[in-house]
Amino acid sequence: MLFSGIPFLFYFLPLVLALYFAVPKKLKNSVLLFFSLVFYGWGEPKYLFLMLFSITQGYVFGLLIEKSRGKKSSKVFLSASVLVSLLLLSYCKYADFSIETFNSLTGLSVPLLKVALPIGISFYTFQILSYAVDVYRSVVPAQKNYIKLALYISMFPQLIAGPIVRYSDIVSQLDTRTHSLENAAYGIRRFVIGLSKKVLIANVLAELGSAFKESTQQSVLFFWLYAIACTLQIYFDFSGYSDMAIGLGRIFGFRFLENFDYPYISSSITQFWRRWHMSLGSWFRDYLYIPLGGNRVGKMRWLFNIFVVWFATGIWHGAAWNFVLWGLMYAVLLVNEKLWLLKRLNKSKVLSRIYTMFFVVIGFVIFDADTVDSAFGTLEHMFGFGGVSAVTGETLYYLKSFAVVLVIAIIGSTPLVKKLCQAVKNTKAGSFVLSVAEPICIVLLLTACTAYLVDGSFNPFLYFRF
Amino acid sequence: MKNKSNLFVVLTAAVFLFGLTIFGILSPDKEFSVSERRPLAAFPKITAEKVFSGRFSEEFEKYSLDNFPLRDGFRRVKALASYCVFGQKDNNGLYYADGYLSKLEYPEDLDSVKKATDRFLEIVETYADEESKVYFSVIPDKNYFLAEKNGYPAINYDKFIAYAKEGMSSAEYIDITDLLELDDYYRTDSHWRQERITDVAERLAEKMGAKLDSEYAVNKLSSDFYGVYSGQSALPVRPDELYCLEIEAIKNSTVYDAETDSSITVYNKENVFGKDPYEVFLHGSKSLLKIENPNSVTDKKLIVFRDSFANSLAPLLISGYSEITLVDIRYISPKLLERFMDFEGRDILFLYSTGVLNNSITIK
Repeated sequence: MLFSGIPFLFYFLPLVLALYFAVPKKLKNSVLLFFSLVFYGWGEPKYLFLMLFSITQGYVFGLLIEKSRGKKSSKVFLSASVLVSLLLLSYCKYADFSIETFNSLTGLSVPLLKVALPIGISFYTFQILSYAVDVYRSVVPAQKNYIKLALYISMFPQLIAGPIVRYSDIVSQLDTRTHSLENAAYGIRRFVIGLSKKVLIANVLAELGSAFKESTQQSVLFFWLYAIACTLQIYFDFSGYSDMAIGLGRIFGFRFLENFDYPYISSSITQFWRRWHMSLGSWFRDYLYIPLGGNRVGKMRWLFNIFVVWFATGIWHGAAWNFVLWGLMYAVLLVNEKLWLLKRLNKSKVLSRIYTMFFVVIGFVIFDADTVDSAFGTLEHMFGFGGVSAVTGETLYYLKSFAVVLVIAIIGSTPLVKKLCQAVKNTKAGSFVLSVAEPICIVLLLTACTAYLVDGSFNPFLYFRF
Repeated sequence: MKNKSNLFVVLTAAVFLFGLTIFGILSPDKEFSVSERRPLAAFPKITAEKVFSGRFSEEFEKYSLDNFPLRDGFRRVKALASYCVFGQKDNNGLYYADGYLSKLEYPEDLDSVKKATDRFLEIVETYADEESKVYFSVIPDKNYFLAEKNGYPAINYDKFIAYAKEGMSSAEYIDITDLLELDDYYRTDSHWRQERITDVAERLAEKMGAKLDSEYAVNKLSSDFYGVYSGQSALPVRPDELYCLEIEAIKNSTVYDAETDSSITVYNKENVFGKDPYEVFLHGSKSLLKIENPNSVTDKKLIVFRDSFANSLAPLLISGYSEITLVDIRYISPKLLERFMDFEGRDILFLYSTGVLNNSITIK
């Protein structure tokens, strides 16, 4: 089920809210788990069993790891849990990709398995992995209550597109959490902001992307317009989903960590990855990079570690070589920065941001492409080597038609509005005006989002395919 | 203060979400959207197979969208937000310029034109008798007059029509573009206005060797004609006026509808209040109609392969013919034609709008 869909907003959400707040405290986790399973099974019920199997193996191995703590078997149980998780993920996500790669390298034609990717598998697998590792590392005790562990993994606000919540971050909230007016109001604000980011900005920018792909009069300007729109769309789509997840979590009393921190104002790629999909970056740092030795190793090993992490980051996003290329591009850029560029970037605020956004845009062109060849084709056209006109009438039409949305998106990707609101809030009069204006804005945004959804077609979240 | 502000936020959001949910549950479901001219999705049947295959959720999604409370109002809000707040030039491909609603017809698809003209030639080769004269005419859609001058991307009409002409080089081409202007089209609909195209009928008849009676009486049918684009665009626009032209030949003509094997009238005035008032003209979409003019002074007969633009034009041609057969090959396969009609001694006119030629996938 989609957050940005009528069934979720006007059937599922009111029902789950009404029941959740109606039942006594001891039943709240069960209600939330039940609705999370309905949420997941809504579109693809068959994959519910796969998720329940993953949860069960995580639960059983978690208990076994704890029971055998200090013994060799503890490591065996951890390895078994990790292996089961990775095998499931590999089979569902990477089997056909591996066969295709094998076929293209050998010239053979091994038939594809045609495995459909269960929604959100990359996210919940990583949560189960982190749980098993954290139990093994004694960071957290194993969860003895199946409902609580199942709820942690399948909780619908963050189930299918993150943020990747660590068990250690919410274990105490699974037992006791606060439900308050303040939490509910904060949650609603975040949810409405996220919904608006997705429906009013990302979906509209997606239309520009579709117009570009269907165009018969592409131009250099149109390629750049597409690249910029795509970069903004991915941010508003994904950060919008995270806002909605954090907001919904807060309504139910959970505090999920932030996942985005205005990544497009970064002055280096290093900083960009500290602000972009933070829960994934920190996951790879803690569960892959550091176990590999991190930077406390020799230079060659350190380089190897970085490339492994970024290869994994790339391929986590999708089973295709363009995602690998995207990840490895960042590996090269980060190594470059760590070795010599970072110090120089600090000297110019403007140039450093241009440099960062240049590579971020290039990155998302590679990310959005269907194949590596088409990614290079797009880049070739962007830099004027594709033999298309510099500009066409059609390009100017779309530029004019999407100019306001693009400007709103660019401003919205910076902390400008947040700072402005904060400055107004700090004055007595401003605080009063905001308190009156806020509910009005929320209703206006909800009305606009509903109107766009009622009128619009199906627009799945981009990160669902991961 | 902070608590009050939080309370307002929670209350407003709750009233919005729960209010619309309850309103939606209590409102009776609708079967048809008049504004969009389409049937609405019904509540899906619940079966285990549907639930487990995910089809139930898909159908429920459609149902929830189609039966959303205040659906037309929300669609209007979207259209207005799109134009006025986000400054978008079109909304779902529909745009408003110079007081007219139109739909972007872009880019040109010459393969589609070729597919259409090839099919027309096939019909000529298969059915036309040696004596038959074959004519071809292209009706420009509204964008011809509206798009480019208002900065909207448009078909290159000169190239498009020249290409179509070339494809139908064995037919005599009748140019009508010089007779048309924006005023000849409804502001809220895709079609042309019958009361404004008598000169087009004259030109076609003259080139085809027929003589028309042009003493029409103008009959106003409605002041509230909301054309197909008004519902699709969801914008608040002024309605059109709907007229039909009367003449003895039209009054005396009989129309045979092969689909229903029955006689119908040239104008169906009940449709003024129906889902599509343009269906006043020859009852709307029909695959095969035969109009007979019993008082005709000529025995000239004509077959028109056409789209819906001909619904309002054909009645104007009837005074020059004893019989006009109208064929819409979007609804009947050309292979079946010999079962229903006679081509002998009949001239053939292919009269198509640029919109259909550019989307000829609809042609069978």
